[in-house]
Amino acid sequence: MAGPLAPVWTPETVSREESDLDRPWVTVVWDDPVNLMTYVTFVLQELFGYDEATATKLMLQVHHEGRAVVSSGPRERMEHDTSRLHAYGLWATYQKDA
Amino acid sequence: MRPFRRKGDVLVAKLVAAEVGILSLLLDQLEQLLAADPDDTGGDPVVERLLPPGHVGDPEMAADYRDLTEAGLRSGKADDLAMVRATLPFEGGEVRLDADQARAWLRTTNDLRLALGTRLGITADTEPPDDPSGEEGSQLAVYYWLTAVQGSLIDALVAGRGGRR
Repeated sequence: MAGPLAPVWTPETVSREESDLDRPWVTVVWDDPVNLMTYVTFVLQELFGYDEATATKLMLQVHHEGRAVVSSGPRERMEHDTSRLHAYGLWATYQKDA
Repeated sequence: MRPFRRKGDVLVAKLVAAEVGILSLLLDQLEQLLAADPDDTGGDPVVERLLPPGHVGDPEMAADYRDLTEAGLRSGKADDLAMVRATLPFEGGEVRLDADQARAWLRTTNDLRLALGTRLGITADTEPPDDPSGEEGSQLAVYYWLTAVQGSLIDALVAGRGGRR
Protein backbone atom coordinates (compact mmCIF):
# COMPACT_ATOMS: atom_id res chain seq x y z
CA MET A 1 0.00 0.00 0.00
CA ALA A 2 1.23 3.52 -0.79
CA GLY A 3 -0.05 7.05 -0.47
CA PRO A 4 -0.75 9.53 2.31
CA LEU A 5 -2.90 7.12 4.32
CA ALA A 6 -0.49 4.19 4.20
CA PRO A 7 0.51 3.02 7.64
CA VAL A 8 3.92 4.24 8.69
CA TRP A 9 4.50 1.01 10.59
CA THR A 10 4.17 -2.56 9.47
CA PRO A 11 2.06 -5.09 11.40
CA GLU A 12 5.25 -6.79 12.62
CA THR A 13 6.24 -3.70 14.59
CA VAL A 14 2.97 -3.52 16.55
CA SER A 15 4.19 -4.22 20.03
CA ARG A 16 2.99 -7.23 21.95
CA GLU A 17 1.72 -4.95 24.72
CA GLU A 18 -0.60 -3.17 22.33
CA SER A 19 -2.20 -6.35 21.08
CA ASP A 20 -2.49 -7.60 24.69
CA LEU A 21 -4.44 -4.48 25.57
CA ASP A 22 -7.03 -5.30 22.95
CA ARG A 23 -7.65 -8.71 24.42
CA PRO A 24 -10.41 -8.56 27.00
CA TRP A 25 -10.23 -9.97 30.49
CA VAL A 26 -12.55 -12.72 31.59
CA THR A 27 -14.01 -13.98 34.86
CA VAL A 28 -13.96 -17.77 35.16
CA VAL A 29 -16.04 -19.91 37.54
CA TRP A 30 -14.48 -23.26 38.47
CA ASP A 31 -16.18 -26.49 39.49
CA ASP A 32 -16.15 -27.43 43.14
CA PRO A 33 -17.81 -30.31 44.98
CA VAL A 34 -19.76 -28.24 47.53
CA ASN A 35 -21.74 -25.55 45.69
CA LEU A 36 -25.18 -26.82 44.67
CA MET A 37 -26.06 -26.70 40.98
CA THR A 38 -29.25 -24.77 41.78
CA TYR A 39 -27.18 -22.30 43.83
CA VAL A 40 -24.65 -21.66 41.04
CA THR A 41 -27.50 -21.03 38.57
CA PHE A 42 -29.24 -18.71 41.05
CA VAL A 43 -26.06 -16.70 41.72
CA LEU A 44 -25.25 -16.28 38.00
CA GLN A 45 -28.77 -14.93 37.42
CA GLU A 46 -28.62 -12.72 40.49
CA LEU A 47 -25.21 -11.15 39.76
CA PHE A 48 -25.18 -10.94 35.97
CA GLY A 49 -28.85 -10.77 35.11
CA TYR A 50 -28.71 -13.87 32.91
CA ASP A 51 -32.00 -15.53 32.07
CA GLU A 52 -32.52 -18.98 33.51
CA ALA A 53 -31.57 -20.82 30.30
CA THR A 54 -28.24 -18.96 29.96
CA ALA A 55 -27.37 -19.32 33.63
CA THR A 56 -28.22 -23.04 33.54
CA LYS A 57 -26.06 -23.54 30.44
CA LEU A 58 -23.08 -21.85 32.12
CA MET A 59 -23.63 -23.85 35.32
CA LEU A 60 -23.67 -27.11 33.34
CA GLN A 61 -20.49 -26.07 31.55
CA VAL A 62 -18.82 -25.51 34.94
CA HIS A 63 -20.11 -28.89 36.11
CA HIS A 64 -19.10 -30.91 33.04
CA GLU A 65 -16.03 -29.08 31.74
CA GLY A 66 -14.69 -27.86 35.09
CA ARG A 67 -14.91 -24.16 34.23
CA ALA A 68 -16.86 -21.53 32.34
CA VAL A 69 -16.32 -17.89 31.41
CA VAL A 70 -19.17 -15.96 33.01
CA SER A 71 -18.23 -12.38 32.11
CA SER A 72 -15.69 -10.44 30.06
CA GLY A 73 -14.51 -6.85 29.87
CA PRO A 74 -11.89 -4.52 31.34
CA ARG A 75 -9.64 -5.83 34.11
CA GLU A 76 -11.17 -3.65 36.86
CA ARG A 77 -14.64 -4.94 36.12
CA MET A 78 -13.44 -8.54 36.13
CA GLU A 79 -11.80 -7.96 39.53
CA HIS A 80 -15.12 -6.63 40.74
CA ASP A 81 -17.09 -9.55 39.26
CA THR A 82 -14.66 -12.01 40.85
CA SER A 83 -15.13 -10.42 44.27
CA ARG A 84 -18.92 -10.49 43.90
CA LEU A 85 -18.71 -14.21 43.12
CA HIS A 86 -16.38 -14.72 46.10
CA ALA A 87 -18.95 -12.99 48.32
CA TYR A 88 -21.35 -15.78 47.30
CA GLY A 89 -18.72 -18.47 47.81
CA LEU A 90 -18.27 -19.44 44.18
CA TRP A 91 -14.75 -20.39 43.16
CA ALA A 92 -13.81 -17.70 40.64
CA THR A 93 -10.72 -16.10 39.13
CA TYR A 94 -10.08 -13.42 36.50
CA GLN A 95 -7.51 -13.58 33.77
CA LYS A 96 -6.61 -12.24 30.37
CA ASP A 97 -8.71 -14.03 27.75
CA ALA A 98 -6.71 -16.96 26.35
CA MET B 1 -36.74 -28.85 60.31
CA ARG B 2 -39.57 -27.78 58.08
CA PRO B 3 -37.91 -26.59 54.87
CA PHE B 4 -38.22 -23.05 53.55
CA ARG B 5 -41.40 -22.18 51.70
CA ARG B 6 -42.59 -18.89 50.27
CA LYS B 7 -45.53 -17.22 51.98
CA GLY B 8 -46.27 -14.03 50.09
CA ASP B 9 -43.18 -11.86 50.37
CA VAL B 10 -41.48 -13.85 53.09
CA LEU B 11 -39.67 -17.18 53.22
CA VAL B 12 -40.59 -19.31 56.17
CA ALA B 13 -39.01 -22.40 57.72
CA LYS B 14 -39.26 -24.03 61.10
CA LEU B 15 -36.28 -25.15 63.19
CA VAL B 16 -36.26 -27.02 66.47
CA ALA B 17 -34.15 -25.70 69.35
CA ALA B 18 -31.42 -28.31 68.84
CA GLU B 19 -31.00 -27.24 65.20
CA VAL B 20 -30.80 -23.58 66.21
CA GLY B 21 -28.17 -24.60 68.78
CA ILE B 22 -26.02 -26.34 66.17
CA LEU B 23 -26.37 -23.44 63.74
CA SER B 24 -25.43 -20.90 66.45
CA LEU B 25 -22.34 -22.89 67.31
CA LEU B 26 -21.28 -23.02 63.65
CA LEU B 27 -21.90 -19.28 63.27
CA ASP B 28 -19.68 -18.59 66.30
CA GLN B 29 -16.90 -20.71 64.81
CA LEU B 30 -17.18 -19.07 61.40
CA GLU B 31 -17.16 -15.64 63.02
CA GLN B 32 -13.98 -16.44 64.94
CA LEU B 33 -12.30 -17.76 61.83
CA LEU B 34 -13.18 -14.64 59.83
CA ALA B 35 -12.21 -12.25 62.63
CA ALA B 36 -8.86 -13.97 63.29
CA ASP B 37 -5.62 -12.23 62.38
CA PRO B 38 -4.79 -13.35 58.80
CA ASP B 39 -1.25 -14.09 60.02
CA ASP B 40 -2.65 -16.72 62.39
CA THR B 41 -4.89 -18.41 59.83
CA GLY B 42 -2.47 -18.24 56.87
CA GLY B 43 -2.53 -21.50 54.97
CA ASP B 44 -5.72 -22.73 56.69
CA PRO B 45 -7.56 -24.49 53.84
CA VAL B 46 -10.96 -23.27 55.09
CA VAL B 47 -9.87 -19.62 55.08
CA GLU B 48 -8.27 -20.21 51.67
CA ARG B 49 -11.58 -21.52 50.37
CA LEU B 50 -13.68 -18.71 51.88
CA LEU B 51 -11.27 -16.02 50.62
CA PRO B 52 -9.70 -17.64 47.57
CA PRO B 53 -7.10 -16.03 45.29
CA GLY B 54 -8.70 -13.92 42.58
CA HIS B 55 -5.94 -14.57 40.10
CA VAL B 56 -3.70 -17.56 39.50
CA GLY B 57 -0.26 -17.42 37.95
CA ASP B 58 0.78 -13.85 38.70
CA PRO B 59 1.54 -13.42 42.44
CA GLU B 60 1.64 -9.64 42.17
CA MET B 61 -1.82 -9.49 40.64
CA ALA B 62 -3.13 -11.97 43.22
CA ALA B 63 -1.73 -9.75 46.00
CA ASP B 64 -3.32 -6.67 44.43
CA TYR B 65 -6.67 -8.44 44.34
CA ARG B 66 -6.36 -9.40 48.00
CA ASP B 67 -5.47 -5.85 49.03
CA LEU B 68 -8.39 -4.52 47.05
CA THR B 69 -11.11 -6.96 48.14
CA GLU B 70 -10.27 -8.95 51.27
CA ALA B 71 -11.39 -6.42 53.90
CA GLY B 72 -14.71 -5.89 52.11
CA LEU B 73 -15.31 -9.61 51.70
CA ARG B 74 -14.57 -10.26 55.38
CA SER B 75 -16.89 -7.49 56.57
CA GLY B 76 -19.63 -8.58 54.14
CA LYS B 77 -19.46 -12.11 55.53
CA ALA B 78 -19.54 -10.77 59.10
CA ASP B 79 -22.62 -8.63 58.30
CA ASP B 80 -24.38 -11.64 56.73
CA LEU B 81 -23.56 -13.75 59.75
CA ALA B 82 -24.96 -11.15 62.16
CA MET B 83 -28.13 -10.89 60.07
CA VAL B 84 -28.61 -14.67 60.15
CA ARG B 85 -28.05 -14.76 63.90
CA ALA B 86 -30.66 -12.03 64.40
CA THR B 87 -33.32 -14.14 62.65
CA LEU B 88 -32.79 -17.30 64.75
CA PRO B 89 -35.53 -18.38 67.15
CA PHE B 90 -33.40 -19.55 70.06
CA GLU B 91 -36.16 -21.63 71.64
CA GLY B 92 -36.92 -23.15 68.25
CA GLY B 93 -39.76 -22.05 65.97
CA GLU B 94 -40.31 -20.14 62.77
CA VAL B 95 -37.58 -18.42 60.77
CA ARG B 96 -39.11 -15.63 58.65
CA LEU B 97 -36.93 -13.96 56.04
CA ASP B 98 -37.36 -10.98 53.75
CA ALA B 99 -35.39 -10.79 50.47
CA ASP B 100 -32.21 -9.31 52.02
CA GLN B 101 -32.23 -11.71 54.94
CA ALA B 102 -32.73 -14.61 52.53
CA ARG B 103 -29.58 -13.59 50.61
CA ALA B 104 -27.63 -13.36 53.86
CA TRP B 105 -28.85 -16.87 54.74
CA LEU B 106 -27.86 -18.19 51.30
CA ARG B 107 -24.34 -16.81 51.53
CA THR B 108 -23.80 -17.80 55.15
CA THR B 109 -25.15 -21.35 54.84
CA ASN B 110 -22.95 -21.66 51.76
CA ASP B 111 -19.88 -20.47 53.71
CA LEU B 112 -20.68 -22.98 56.45
CA ARG B 113 -21.00 -25.77 53.87
CA LEU B 114 -17.72 -24.70 52.24
CA ALA B 115 -16.00 -24.66 55.63
CA LEU B 116 -17.37 -28.05 56.73
CA GLY B 117 -16.92 -29.52 53.26
CA THR B 118 -13.28 -28.47 53.21
CA ARG B 119 -12.62 -29.84 56.72
CA LEU B 120 -14.36 -33.13 55.87
CA GLY B 121 -12.74 -33.45 52.44
CA ILE B 122 -16.08 -33.59 50.60
CA THR B 123 -15.80 -34.73 46.98
CA ALA B 124 -18.39 -35.15 44.23
CA ASP B 125 -18.70 -38.81 45.31
CA THR B 126 -19.31 -38.18 49.03
CA GLU B 127 -22.64 -39.55 50.26
CA PRO B 128 -24.69 -38.95 53.41
CA PRO B 129 -23.43 -41.03 56.35
CA ASP B 130 -25.00 -44.46 57.00
CA ASP B 131 -24.23 -43.97 60.66
CA PRO B 132 -24.58 -40.37 61.85
CA SER B 133 -23.08 -41.14 65.26
CA GLY B 134 -19.39 -40.66 65.89
CA GLU B 135 -17.49 -37.47 65.15
CA GLU B 136 -17.14 -37.69 61.39
CA GLY B 137 -20.60 -39.17 60.87
CA SER B 138 -22.26 -36.41 62.88
CA GLN B 139 -20.31 -33.64 61.11
CA LEU B 140 -21.27 -35.13 57.77
CA ALA B 141 -24.89 -35.27 58.93
CA VAL B 142 -24.70 -31.55 59.81
CA TYR B 143 -23.25 -30.84 56.36
CA TYR B 144 -26.19 -32.60 54.68
CA TRP B 145 -28.65 -30.88 57.00
CA LEU B 146 -27.20 -27.50 55.92
CA THR B 147 -27.47 -28.65 52.30
CA ALA B 148 -31.18 -29.37 52.81
CA VAL B 149 -31.76 -25.99 54.49
CA GLN B 150 -29.92 -24.06 51.77
CA GLY B 151 -31.45 -26.14 48.98
CA SER B 152 -35.00 -25.45 50.18
CA LEU B 153 -34.24 -21.72 50.44
CA ILE B 154 -32.92 -21.61 46.86
CA ASP B 155 -35.95 -23.53 45.58
CA ALA B 156 -38.33 -21.18 47.42
CA LEU B 157 -36.54 -18.10 46.04
CA VAL B 158 -36.54 -19.47 42.48
CA ALA B 159 -40.22 -20.43 42.70
CA GLY B 160 -41.09 -16.88 43.78
CA ARG B 161 -39.06 -15.40 40.97
CA GLY B 162 -41.07 -17.18 38.27
CA GLY B 163 -44.41 -16.15 39.71
CA ARG B 164 -43.58 -12.56 40.53
CA ARG B 165 -41.95 -11.23 37.40
